[in-house]
Parts: sequence; C-alpha cells; structure tokens
Amino acid sequence: MPHPQHLVNILTGVKGAMEMKDATPLAKIIKKAERPLLVIGPRALEMEIEGRPFVEYLVDIARAANIPICATAHTKKRLLELGITPESTYDVIEIVNSLKDAEWKGVKGEGCHDFVLFGGIRTDLGNQALSTLKHFAPHLKTMTLCKYYYPNANFSLPNYKKEEEWKALLEGLIAGLK
Amino acid sequence: MKGKRKREEMEKIIRAEDEWEPIGHTPMPHVTDLRNWDRRLLETYKPFYAPFCDLCCLCTYGKCDLTGTNRGACGIDISAQQGRIVTLACSMGMSAHAGHAAHIIDYLIEKHGEDYPIDLGDQVNVECPNIRTVLGLKPKNLRDLKTAVQYAAEQLVHIVSSTHTGQEGDAVDYESKALHISMLDHVCMEAADVAQIIGFKFPTSVADTPIVDMGWGSVDRSKPVILVVGHNPASSSEIIDYLRTKGLEDKVEIAGICCTALETTRYSDKAKVIGPLSRQLFFIRAGIADVIVADEQCIRTDLTDEASKVGSVVIASSDKACRGLEEVSKRPTDEVIKEMVDKGKHVLILDHEKAAEVAVEAVLKIAPKRKKEKPIDEKKAKELAQACVACGSCTQVCPNLLPVGPAIQKVAKGDFEDFKMVFENCIGCGKCEEACPQDVPIFKMMQAVASWDTWKCRVGRGPVMDTEIRKVGAPIVLGTIPGVLAFVGCSNFPNEIDEIAEMVDEFARRKYIVVLTGCSAMVIGMRKDKDGKTLYEKYPGDFEAGGVVNIGSCVANAHITGAAMKIANIFANLPLRANYEVIADYVLNRVGAVGVAWGAMSQKAASIATGCNRLGIPVVLGPHSAKYRRLYLSRKEEDDWTVMDGRKKELVDTEEPSPEHLAIVAESKERAMVTIAKLCIRKNDTQPGRQIKLNHYIDLYKKFFGTLPDDLHHFVRTERDIPMFFKKEVKQFLEEKGWKPKPVLSLPTLIGTYESEVPVEATIR
Repeated sequence: MPHPQHLVNILTGVKGAMEMKDATPLAKIIKKAERPLLVIGPRALEMEIEGRPFVEYLVDIARAANIPICATAHTKKRLLELGITPESTYDVIEIVNSLKDAEWKGVKGEGCHDFVLFGGIRTDLGNQALSTLKHFAPHLKTMTLCKYYYPNANFSLPNYKKEEEWKALLEGLIAGLK
Repeated sequence: MKGKRKREEMEKIIRAEDEWEPIGHTPMPHVTDLRNWDRRLLETYKPFYAPFCDLCCLCTYGKCDLTGTNRGACGIDISAQQGRIVTLACSMGMSAHAGHAAHIIDYLIEKHGEDYPIDLGDQVNVECPNIRTVLGLKPKNLRDLKTAVQYAAEQLVHIVSSTHTGQEGDAVDYESKALHISMLDHVCMEAADVAQIIGFKFPTSVADTPIVDMGWGSVDRSKPVILVVGHNPASSSEIIDYLRTKGLEDKVEIAGICCTALETTRYSDKAKVIGPLSRQLFFIRAGIADVIVADEQCIRTDLTDEASKVGSVVIASSDKACRGLEEVSKRPTDEVIKEMVDKGKHVLILDHEKAAEVAVEAVLKIAPKRKKEKPIDEKKAKELAQACVACGSCTQVCPNLLPVGPAIQKVAKGDFEDFKMVFENCIGCGKCEEACPQDVPIFKMMQAVASWDTWKCRVGRGPVMDTEIRKVGAPIVLGTIPGVLAFVGCSNFPNEIDEIAEMVDEFARRKYIVVLTGCSAMVIGMRKDKDGKTLYEKYPGDFEAGGVVNIGSCVANAHITGAAMKIANIFANLPLRANYEVIADYVLNRVGAVGVAWGAMSQKAASIATGCNRLGIPVVLGPHSAKYRRLYLSRKEEDDWTVMDGRKKELVDTEEPSPEHLAIVAESKERAMVTIAKLCIRKNDTQPGRQIKLNHYIDLYKKFFGTLPDDLHHFVRTERDIPMFFKKEVKQFLEEKGWKPKPVLSLPTLIGTYESEVPVEATIR
C-alpha cells in the first residue's frame, strides 16, 4: 500500500485504497455504477493541469458519464460561471453525512448513490470524509480523482509527480466514459 | 453515588440555606444527572464520526482492527471507540484548565488568603454564571473558587475511569460524558480567570481596555528581552513586580507568546504580544529572547533544545512541564544565575517569586554577552535556498499541506512570493526543516519574508458586563442583533493567518457582536486597513452591535458561555442556580450565539467547544478539525424538528432546522461565513429579527455562491420573515419550492419533549 502524499494522512489501519494507475478499469467501474455522484471541492478551482483548471476536467467527467454533481464549499459559483448547475450544494461533511444513510433519497431523489467520486477536497479533510464512508457506508464505493493517494477511499489515483501523467489519466477516463 | 449524606454534603458546599435563588434540579451534577438532556440534544444533533485511526491500541488485547463492523477483543466498536477518544481528549483539555485553576488559586490564596473576596467591579454582579448554573453556588471568595475546581476534579476521575477497557461501550453515552466534562471545563476556566482578575487586579467592568503593541517587530532588541510562553501568569506577573520594584520596567522588554502574552498585558500595558502559538518556533529561532520563562500548556516540548541553538536560556516554572531540568528553587539565587550566564544552563524553578528574580537578574547579565544575529535578508535566503534538491520531503510532512518545497525552489531563483504565502499559512511546527536532508534552515529563511511591522492588540477585558447584557439582551433574543460570534482557539489555521481578521471584519461591519479569545484574539490585530488601522482600532471594544471585544486568554472562554447564561438570567429573569437544563435550553432555542474555532488544534479546544455544545451554542471548525473525529450534525430534511410550545404546552412540528448543527467543519472561509450566519437563526426570532438574519444569510450566500441559498425555504416561517431587499426573488423561489407557512413560536423549548424532572413551567418567567 503506498503512502499518501501528505504524511499527516497516513493510514493507521489495514484497509486502504486500491491504487488505480490505468483509466480503462476506472471507466468500467464508473460505468457499472447505477447512481454515481461527483463531489467537487474548492481546491479544484485552484489546481491547474498544464494551465487548465482541474475543475474543468471534473466537469468533463460528469458530462461524459452523465453524473450528477454536488458542489461543496464555495465551488458552486465557479461551476455556474462554467455553465454547469450542480444538482446539489452541501459542504463535504454534510454530503457525507447524507451518503452514509443507505435510505437517503440522493441528490436527484432517486435513491442513495452507490458510487461517489471526489475531486478538489483538501487531502486531510477529504481523507477524513472518506474514513466516515469507509466505516459507516458499506452500501457504496468511493474513488478520488486528485493527484494524490487517499488511503481511505476504495479506489484512488496514485501520487503523481508529473502533471502530464495525471492529465493523461483524466483524459483517458473522459474518453473511456463517452 | 446519591444518598442522604451526599445530599447533605452538597447542600453544605453550595450553602443551600442562602436564598439568593431557588435551587434548581441539578446542583453539582454527577456524571449521569444531565444524561437525558444530552441524549435529547444528540437525538437531533447526532454524533458524526470520521475515525482518524482504524485501530485501538490502548490495551494488550490489541492492536484491534475496528474497521466497519469489526469489534475489538473487548467488544468495542468503531463508534464507541471514537466517543471514547473524544471523551479522553475533552478530559485532557478540561484537566489542563483545572490544573491551571487549581494552581493559580492556591498561589493567590498563599498571597491573599482564602477569604480574599470576589469583586469584579461595579458593572458585574453575576460574577460566575457557570459556577452558579452548574454547582448552584454563588462564590464569594478564593476558597469558593477552589471548591468549584475540587468538585470538577472529582467528576474528572469518574469520566476518565469510564474510558478504561471494559467500562462504557456506547457511543452516545461516551458523548454524554464528553459533554459533562466539557461543561465542567467552563467551570474551571471561570474559576481560573476570576481568580486571576481579582488576584492580579486585571481589568474588569471596563470595555475600553488599553491597546498594546504586538509583533516581533515591536520588540526593542537593544534591550534585554524576556519571553514568557504558555498560559499561566504567575511567573510573568512576578517578573513585572520585580522590574517595578527595581525601577527596571523601561529597561527590560517583556514579550509573550500564546495566552501568557494576553495575561501579561492585562497586568502591564508595557508588555508586548509577540503573536499566536504558530509564531513560537519562528520567534525562538530568531534568537531575540535572552531568557525564556515557560509556564504551562501549548509550549514546544523541545523548547530547551531550540533555545540552546540560539543561546537563549530557559526557566521552566510549572510542575506540569519540568522538561527534565534540575530544580533549583532552593539553591542560592546568585549560584543559579551564574550557571545560567556562564554555562547557558536551563533550570526549573517552581517558586514564582524566585523565578522572577532569577529571570530579571540573569537577563541583565546574559543580554550584553549575546551577539544577536540580524534577521536574514532576501539575499541570504536566496543563497541558503540553493542547497534545496527538490526532494519534496518538506512538503510531504507539512501538517498544513503547504507546498513548502516548490516555494523554496522559487526562493533559489529570487522569487519570494510563494514563500511569503507559506509563512503566512505556516502553523509553526518545524517539521519541514526536520525532514530536509540538506538542512536548509527554512524557519530562519522565513525572517526574510516576515513583516517586521508593529501591530496592535486590545488588552483582554474579562467578563461581559451585566449592564451590557441589559442593553443587548433583548435585541439578541429577538434577533435584531443578528448574532453573537465568538472567534476562539488556537492558531492552526488552514489558510492564511488573515482569514480570521477577514471574517471578523465582515461580521462586525454587519453589526454582529464579535468576541474573541486566545490566539484568535491576537491575529486580528495583525491586519491593517488602508489607513493603517487594525480591527481593534476600527471597531469599539463594547459588547454591542458592531463591537469587537477581546475577552482574554483561553480561560476567558468561560466568560463567553457566561454571557449567554447571563442573557437568560438578566434579560429573561431565569434563575441560574443549579438550573443547567433550563438555561441550556434557553440558549439553544433563543440566543443566536455561534462559536468559531477556525484554527483549533488542542484538546483544550475540543473541551471548550464541547462545553459550548452542551449549553446549546453551535461551533464552526476549520477543515483540518475533521481530525477531531467527531461532529454533531443534523439532517435538515430528514430530522424531526418538533419542540414544545412552552406557553401552550403543546408539541409543535416547527419544520425548521434551527440551529442546524451543533458542531460542524467548514471547508473554506467562504463556506464558514455562510454557515455562521445561518447558525445564528433561532426558533424564537421575531419576524423583524428573522428578516435581519435572513438578509445576512442571503447576502453572504449570493456573494460567495452566486444564488439564493438552496435551503432558504426551511428558514422562512411566514412571508413576513422575508427581507424586503430580496422579497421578489425569494417569493419566486418559495413558490418554486412549494413552500407553505410554518408555525411561529414565542416560547420554543425542548423541555417536555424528553424525560426530565424539570417542568415546562420552569422555562417561563
């Protein structure tokens, strides 16, 4: 099991995320989900991949697979500027609090989500939120799209040192989802 | 344990025969006496757990993996384990304040005697609202304060014992214990600060306290410098007394870090505040201090090592932090000073008067001998940065997730912008430097980007005055003052140190009442507007709409919960005496107060916040605080918002999630500001008051999110709640949501909705 990028998030446990370096199986996993959800946090507005904001990649992923979006923190405003109206606006802890309830009706009122993707949450808060879902939400799986390894997810990207590798994976994923 | 003898003992302690108020239902409550209140509270605000560790390693059965549905060898599950750790954290926090209180009260009893009276000036009659409400005792003197702390300490034993293997096994019961010990934390903080105020004659019954200099740039480095670090003012006040006696007050600089700084400026406005805890290592490594006097709490445990590196000498002065040093309290003073001066020896002195004499006499001899280095400039920093090999180790170990490595790389090229940002966001742990294989002196390099400006901090003023409560009690409860916000706690800020100032400025401008304590009270003085004014110079120090009030140090947090209690007592005329449930219920449903612990780090912050929660005050925490493992959250759409209408004695489904959460993490300052405005909403708001609160909520939401709040329909009870300015668009929004009017209650209460000895009538005066 790899170490997380920020050692403050190091796993003290036995169940850690599967590291996913290839876009093809990731796209397959996402496509299999019945009710996926994409949670977009504020760091997605700040991070850029070779000059393009990370949030735009996330929006492309949502569009490619028709995944509803939950905007956390103050992300909503930027998404609206990009022409995307998120299906819901919660802070990350609030959406996780709802997600851990298997009976929750979900952001579209169709039932709780079975697969949740995360991007743009600061790693310490994100890893803690994923810990809640790891322990208390056996009815769903989680995956992270940031360039860091999140131990408490089910599936996580590795720690990317080279931005082009991260970019290649995200672009491969977008293509695979179309 | 309950029984006739126990009752007699309690009645003797609280002087039951005194008839200042009738005795309520829970005098000197034992661990489970408020359990039903807690369970009712947690029925709405359920514990939300984010385990920081999946294992339990507290006994030799383990390590046990508690992931998911796994249980430990003792049978404990992951939820109960989180509750257990939270209970331990709150107990640690409470014990730090209890230890502080016990020490300072004994110290002052030695000076003044047990009968030394409590007199907080002509504007404060309700001297100790926490002690009155929890114990049922109206304290008269130092002896009574000691009694309050002794009772709390006995409860601590029961609470800590519940965390032993094979004791408590239920998460909610652990939470009840955490709430209990945290309520008692406020009792101990109150005892400590009231003792300090009377014993040291700190400011009281006054709002316009002096404004003192702040920042490392404010220290005159040509003079001998004594740095005081920690929380307990016993040694620092003795130092000032000694300087005054010897006529040296203008010849030696006294500067403080963390709460001791705030306490010391309450004793002498010539003392300076260096800054919050996050600047401790930076300042020590700058080598400006000649002698460092450490007392207790939040002091770097490697203080002596760090001091030795720059030739400073340490005097440890607390039995809680002896640091492996030789105790020299009984050795001849001259001999001790000689060893400090000649050998740079650090010492432990538990006699505060002696510690003061040694500190002053030593600093006068050490300072002329030391060659204080000038701060590193950009040229030198650039030179030092050349050693960086871009391995990324510094970035990996940064607890605040800062891109330290890339910033150093830019410094090597002469670009200091990112490194300045790193310094502004730095929490001051030094792990980056420790991890550097090239020994790049990152902290020293920060001297090149740090501002050497002099800032300003208002001196802490202690309790909110009864006269102020009389003035603002009605507008707070009716909602026309939109809220009382308490920015408290440590300096483990997730982003720039400036964020607290930004939030305080925003809400003071909107005419909320803003109170501050501890490191948060310092950092707002580190921002100046275009006219060069800090927030303390821009806003009045009165507890009124638009006031920015420095209450004091960590232990002064009790005056914030105390102010909420006083509103119930002075404005609503509810008796405090042993009447905790009624007072907490009043605060929860009618006082729009919110705590903000944006940079919370310590166990003390955990117990302070949890104590606020039991009293019905919601708390907003910074994003890293998810590492505290536990929050108290509701789900507005799914949960039951039924309360009792106290006047009609009928259960009413209000359909209104107010306050929505009791403890929540916010991901960004923008989200925090919107959340703070929303959490000020109370069921008791009058319609004009609700209009004002919604006006701020909508305005902030639109500013940061770009639309009307998604959940606005939950907080509009009738059309008269809608702010005039947004009327048209809100009405359209409500129509789209299928909104229908909700009941408006004048006396909402949880009393009567759960099993309690307290009758509903007790909520009415």
